[in-house]
Amino acid sequence: MNSLQKIFGAIAVVLYTIITIAPIVFALDRLILVSGFNPTFWVQSLDKNYVSQGTIGFTFIQSFFSTILTILIGFPIAWVLGRHSWPFKAFLRSILTLPFVIPAIIAAMGVLTITGPYGLDIRTEESTWWWTLILSHAWFNIALIIRFCEPVLSTLNPNLEEQLLLLPNGVTFYSRLKNLWIPVLAPAVAAASCMTFVFSFTSFALVKWITVRDKTLESTMAEVSSSSGIQGYMESSSDIVLGASLIQFLVLLISLWLMSVLQRKRQTKWQQASENLVQNKNTKGWLVLAPAIFFVQLPLLSVILGSLRVRDASADSTSFKWSTAGWSEALQGSYSFPPLSEALFNSMIYSFTTLIIALPLGYALASTIHILEEKNLHLSKILEIYTMLPFALSAAMIGLGVMLGIIKLNPSAAYDFWFLPVLAHVIITVPFVVRIILPALRSLDLNYEENAKVLGMSKLNRFLKIKLPLMKGSILVATVFTLAMSLGEFGASFIVARNSEWTTLPLLIDSLRGKPMKDPLTVPASNAVATVLMIITMILFLVVESFRNQKDRGMF
Amino acid sequence: MNNFFLTKVVIVTLVLTPLFSGCLSEESSDNELVIVTYDVNALSDSMISQFENNTGIEIKMIKVDDAGSILSYLIQNEGTGTIDLAIGLDNTYLPTAIELDLLKEVNVNQTLLSRLNSSKMQPLKPYEGKLATPFDMGYICLNYDSSVVDGLNFTVPTGLWDLTEPEWKGKVAFPSPITSSPGRGFMLATLDYFSWQSNDEDFGNWWTAMKENDVIITSGWSEAYETHYTGGYGEYTEGYIGDAHITVSYCHSPGVESWYNGNWTKSASLDISKTAFFQVEYASAIKGGNSENAEKFIEYLISPNVNSQMPIENLMYSVLEGEDLPEENGYRFHSLIPSDPALISNHDIGRNMELWLEEWNLAMTKSE
Repeated sequence: MNSLQKIFGAIAVVLYTIITIAPIVFALDRLILVSGFNPTFWVQSLDKNYVSQGTIGFTFIQSFFSTILTILIGFPIAWVLGRHSWPFKAFLRSILTLPFVIPAIIAAMGVLTITGPYGLDIRTEESTWWWTLILSHAWFNIALIIRFCEPVLSTLNPNLEEQLLLLPNGVTFYSRLKNLWIPVLAPAVAAASCMTFVFSFTSFALVKWITVRDKTLESTMAEVSSSSGIQGYMESSSDIVLGASLIQFLVLLISLWLMSVLQRKRQTKWQQASENLVQNKNTKGWLVLAPAIFFVQLPLLSVILGSLRVRDASADSTSFKWSTAGWSEALQGSYSFPPLSEALFNSMIYSFTTLIIALPLGYALASTIHILEEKNLHLSKILEIYTMLPFALSAAMIGLGVMLGIIKLNPSAAYDFWFLPVLAHVIITVPFVVRIILPALRSLDLNYEENAKVLGMSKLNRFLKIKLPLMKGSILVATVFTLAMSLGEFGASFIVARNSEWTTLPLLIDSLRGKPMKDPLTVPASNAVATVLMIITMILFLVVESFRNQKDRGMF
Repeated sequence: MNNFFLTKVVIVTLVLTPLFSGCLSEESSDNELVIVTYDVNALSDSMISQFENNTGIEIKMIKVDDAGSILSYLIQNEGTGTIDLAIGLDNTYLPTAIELDLLKEVNVNQTLLSRLNSSKMQPLKPYEGKLATPFDMGYICLNYDSSVVDGLNFTVPTGLWDLTEPEWKGKVAFPSPITSSPGRGFMLATLDYFSWQSNDEDFGNWWTAMKENDVIITSGWSEAYETHYTGGYGEYTEGYIGDAHITVSYCHSPGVESWYNGNWTKSASLDISKTAFFQVEYASAIKGGNSENAEKFIEYLISPNVNSQMPIENLMYSVLEGEDLPEENGYRFHSLIPSDPALISNHDIGRNMELWLEEWNLAMTKSE
């Protein structure tokens, strides 16, 4: 690690610490001041308060079942996609992995339309909520299974299986499963399962809208967060936030550690081959792909349809008509809601500003971790976990911390500092950038770099002419991911108290949904805004798929 | 990691800190009014821009979740001098804000104040000092679906204990007093209801019995009304479940339903003695803020042109003398004025709220 690298690494770590870790320290400091340092009491308080009773059990159980169902649905899709050749494969892959970047609030709206009184009408039956939630989590997370498993499947040299067929250990299907497929796929499936568990564990919007009576630790924290961190006023809120955060943090730390171990295992090189060699045509695969596409697109389609379906308030109360009135309402804005164009403009500006910060920062962090792996493995592991911390932190904690930080620095920033929402977006997106760039850096062929060095190329030139072109695909994926996540980011920017002029698309959707829905145009207007957000996300995703490099296709 | 590295970390931090604080050091001007509020529908874009055009004062609005979040935000920002005005604290939160000395007196134009309605605000007198000015109001009470609770399928309840009967098992939805102001208002009403009954312990016993009877407790009003209640417009919304025939809303909610539905509603309000809570929402200047500008906005908020629109814009009563709900589409006709609402003084609310919430929590977590 030369001095230049050290400087970059140090800047990245400091910046990351200021943006992400400082708010957490502020929040913890204040919460502990209110509740005292007594972790056992924090956890016990969860069962002592009506608002949080039973949430621990529910969070664990639903995450477990969500993970199982996600694998059951996602793995066949990954298999079919990976082992066979398909027309417009990049397009198919984007369509199937799209849900992961769709804001949860849109997903929730779509699911409710399908299960609601004018859809399948199954919501009146409480027993259906559980499976609706689990299925929604599977819908949301199958992208993880596809992204983790499909690259392994699509590039595993078919010779391996052919050779195994000739050996006594590979005669039966089960023996091949045991000796080839499980060892090959287990790390990928396990890593994807860890991530799925993490995302289901911290699920908020889907739980809030679908299960209604049951809550996760995250949705409970969101409920009480506004009154937390205040001495002498509703102090139980601080106990709940600390107790829930502690459990969430421990569980996620274990998952992230497991992930990190598994991901390193995934780098173990199996004999690879070109996709063209691995994949063959298989029309039966459509039996898996067609229902999968339907499953993935249905909630999204229902959002689009919902934007055009307007309740006829004057006639029979249950009748609907097709109309673009919801779109007009969204485009023009009304009451206290800005027009769609304003929210779109804000969203675009925020997401590009986020990109300018999060991408170099994430890259620098990933690069520092990668360099440290050779020099100081222990430190690199610590830094890797450190960069994944935001995955483990609740939006409630980040929101409280950012607010306390602002009060310390300059309280008027809460309404004057236009940049504020970007901070929240950076916190959320940097870990994703690191997770995308790091595996790509690890799988870079060092020979190119060595040869260039021997040929006397300067460090900067080597970076610009060798490393950057080789990393192009991953950087593009990270770019699109950052843009998409920022565009759809809701939780953290919602909790950071905000100037009403900074409304983004997801905030506009939420404001519209928050308005009493007596007005028949409220629902179609919010669906119209959601449609715009969805289409932008979709376009971004399709663009990136056409640039995606075969080699660095891991993770997201 | 050596000393050289650490030195660089320190240098970088020193370089970055002024950069950040530079971005933050914008001073607020005299021509600015910083309002903290929740999504009060009455504060529409056009209403705000009209005020800005008339006065030349620029409004900066910080929107938080609900009335409780306004109070929390004020407490967290106490002493920073950055907030000028809070809009939306109601009488379940205002006494706490006064108790904590967060608010500042203003001299709102007397001619406007004298027009504030006093007759409708009986029997619970709103706060009358200079620390807060009411801008809208309404009674919180039990609403029921009259198409189901018709005396045949379900008996119309005449007292709160009726709701603990088996026929109401899982059929009642209340917003939580911990996280919702209508929920808090209703809890206060039940407190008063049982203090008039045989003994005070009944408050906790009733809530425990309700819990045993599978009462649905939601985090906010909209979840109880839109998702669970069968009598309202919730059935047109996607998240609708429709498992509760009684909920807590405003006594004039059936009027609002009727107004939107062209003079038709199946929702009705229950007029049970001491179960309705009179809610008033206030605008208050904040200590350390620009009270002159806050005053101007409060006057604007209670000016006849703006405040008379409350029933339409904000679905609440106007606080002006002589103003009422519109007759159109049965808005007035379907809006009940409870005959004997609960009586709890602002003073008691300010002093005991935390204790009452604890008692409620205890009742709801008590096992059989």
